[in-house]
Amino acid sequence: MTYFAKTYDEAFINENSVRTNYKKFISWYKNQDNSELTKINSDAMKFFENTGVSFKVYSSDKKENLIPFDIIPRIINPKEWNKLVKGITQRVLAINFFLTDIYGQQEIIKHGVIPVDLIQNNPAFLKQMLGFTPPNKTYNHISGIDLIKTNSDNFYVLEDNVRVPSGASYMIENRDTMIKLFPELISRYKVSDNRNYTKYLSEILKKSSPQKTKINPNIVLLTPGIYNSAFFEHAFLADKLGVELVEGKDLRVINKYLNMKTIDGWKRVDVIYRRIDDIFLDPLSFKEDSFLGVPGLMEVYRNKNVTIANAPGTGISDDKSIYSYIPDIIKFYLGQKPILKNVKTFKCRIKDELKYVLKNLNKLVVKEVHGSGGYGMLVGPLASKTEISKFKNKITKNPYSYIAQPTLSLSTCPIYTKKGLTPRHVDLRCFALLAQEKVTVTSGGLTRVALKKGSLVVNSSQGGGTKDTWILSS
Amino acid sequence: MLGSTADSLFWMFRYIERVENTLCMIESGFQLYLLSSSNLKNEWDAILRTNSIRHHFFKKNNSLDSLNIINFMLKDPKNFNNILILIEKARENARRSRVSITSEVWEAINTCWLYLNEELNKKINENKIQIIIKNTREKIALIFGFLERSMLKNEILNFCYLGTFIERFDNTVRILNTRYYLLLDEKKIRFEGYDNFQLEMILRSISSYRSYMWKNQNEIKANKVSYFLISDKDMPKSLMFCVNETIKNLRSIHKKNFLNKKSYLNVLSIQKKIKQKNRNFNDYSFLNSLFKLNMTLAANIEEEFNFQ
Repeated sequence: MTYFAKTYDEAFINENSVRTNYKKFISWYKNQDNSELTKINSDAMKFFENTGVSFKVYSSDKKENLIPFDIIPRIINPKEWNKLVKGITQRVLAINFFLTDIYGQQEIIKHGVIPVDLIQNNPAFLKQMLGFTPPNKTYNHISGIDLIKTNSDNFYVLEDNVRVPSGASYMIENRDTMIKLFPELISRYKVSDNRNYTKYLSEILKKSSPQKTKINPNIVLLTPGIYNSAFFEHAFLADKLGVELVEGKDLRVINKYLNMKTIDGWKRVDVIYRRIDDIFLDPLSFKEDSFLGVPGLMEVYRNKNVTIANAPGTGISDDKSIYSYIPDIIKFYLGQKPILKNVKTFKCRIKDELKYVLKNLNKLVVKEVHGSGGYGMLVGPLASKTEISKFKNKITKNPYSYIAQPTLSLSTCPIYTKKGLTPRHVDLRCFALLAQEKVTVTSGGLTRVALKKGSLVVNSSQGGGTKDTWILSS
Repeated sequence: MLGSTADSLFWMFRYIERVENTLCMIESGFQLYLLSSSNLKNEWDAILRTNSIRHHFFKKNNSLDSLNIINFMLKDPKNFNNILILIEKARENARRSRVSITSEVWEAINTCWLYLNEELNKKINENKIQIIIKNTREKIALIFGFLERSMLKNEILNFCYLGTFIERFDNTVRILNTRYYLLLDEKKIRFEGYDNFQLEMILRSISSYRSYMWKNQNEIKANKVSYFLISDKDMPKSLMFCVNETIKNLRSIHKKNFLNKKSYLNVLSIQKKIKQKNRNFNDYSFLNSLFKLNMTLAANIEEEFNFQ
């Protein structure tokens, strides 16, 4: 099969010429027996099935789905990676400063950098957090930064996920799987370890504790339960962190402190690594009919008797309407030029930009400001005329809820098929951890790949797969 | 340890044990079916009653057809204790307590669940029933093997065993309760069709026929069968064995403070009742009280350890 990539391909310059990063790998690949690889490829899925690595899609019934795994690693060279680390560190720090300010003095609004109505009318902005600084002045302990590549030089940031970013467990499971499937290949490369992610996560959670005197604070991971799409990851992380995996019903506020119900009675909790959204955290402060959270939790939090990671209200900074201001946010708080670029974004709330968007819908990707997971999205070039006109109505009715971006020519990476390697579009989610103004970016990340030919949608909820991501040690 | 985790561990192993016990009963019935035994209908009737599903079965069926019963016990959604539902619940609880069990135990449960779903969601083939039962029992043995070999010897393990033995006690006492009339002293009451064969079936329904014969010089007698199932402390399915294991695990969780705990007092009273019987099994009304006491014991455990 000939290898033909329409857009920038990370492995091949053309069919006969391989980029430096991949040279060693491709020469190894060419020496492999294809039927053996086919077998290994199906072994990989069996392995995921038996270990119960799964992802549930909400719309389907109780069925759990496996995220398809591709055995060809994505390889990033150390020079590119170092730039990414610097850029991600800068963004994560700036976002924390932004959150401290926006729930405090709001200098950035006073200076006219960000329009006040973007904050005021935004459901992700929590008034309950105003005038309160979280323990250790940290909001976004854990960030998942989504990046895409369009040419040889640049990674662009597509999204900053700082609410409850997921995917770290798949990053680690992918590496474990590769080591099992290709032990001799991995040992030939010097691949940076990504499995220390959970070690760093444990450290930053310990550091975030409000009780400075306690050497071993009691940390819990709060999950919505086994029917949540990411439950596998919740259990995986709790296991690696060595902390209890709790649901709201295990927790109760007693005498101004948060406690968990153990077999010997109530035990105080110092840090919650929560994997439920803000509005479910506390029925007394947010959604009244939520059973996922703990009544009175916010008051305990405001008394600084517990740390919630990430802090409630961080969502305001990864909102798609705020996204386009991140370069300004970096300049405002750090006085630096942004290292990583944003994707050009049209804000439908601005008249001229709306006009442009409505005229060019067939060329643009339109996203709902508060949507996620690839839902509520229009991919112009692939959409039918009726879909476009439907979306036109939606945007005209409520321009504040939409932004638009040019369809990007996402880079491709080779995936394995029975007939040989073939290019597919990819993105990259990197995981950054923050404590005491120090950022740790885990080497590698989760590469998501659109397995359908030509598709640009990499979300696992819509048929995307994943790959192991290799950062070569220099 | 969270109360809710103890809850999940306890129930995970109740359901796993129940899968195994149900399969043993299906197997014993199926053997009779293959032999075209004249006792076939009585036997299925007893099995359905033991599992408290007779009433549900007859809502849909008019006769005790072997294959219908097997299908009903394996996968019929009208049967709330069918194998597919039981293994689903076991795995659900394993997922809830995923952090407390080793990946070996988890994978053993998960692969057992995958296997049963694959096999039982097809049309059940008469020729495959025995293989499915054998394979499943092997997979369950793997779960217990990894439980023993890979888990720390702490209260997590204790809760797994509490679930196992409370469930096993329940199963054995149910079997005895359904068929006590067979076990009454043969001199006093004789039933039509009563013969050693039915005693043998009791033993087979808990897969203990060979071990009984080995221990009793190949002689089947009602009193000896009773002793074997009720009082023999070496027999892993006997009431006495289950009680002793429950006591051991309760003491281990409660450490020094077990003496005044309700669960402990209750299980001691069960042990005493069994001991008092000695070898005199002419009166079986006490089986019913043991059945109820075991239920109370389970409730005591749920309360004492803050299950929710």
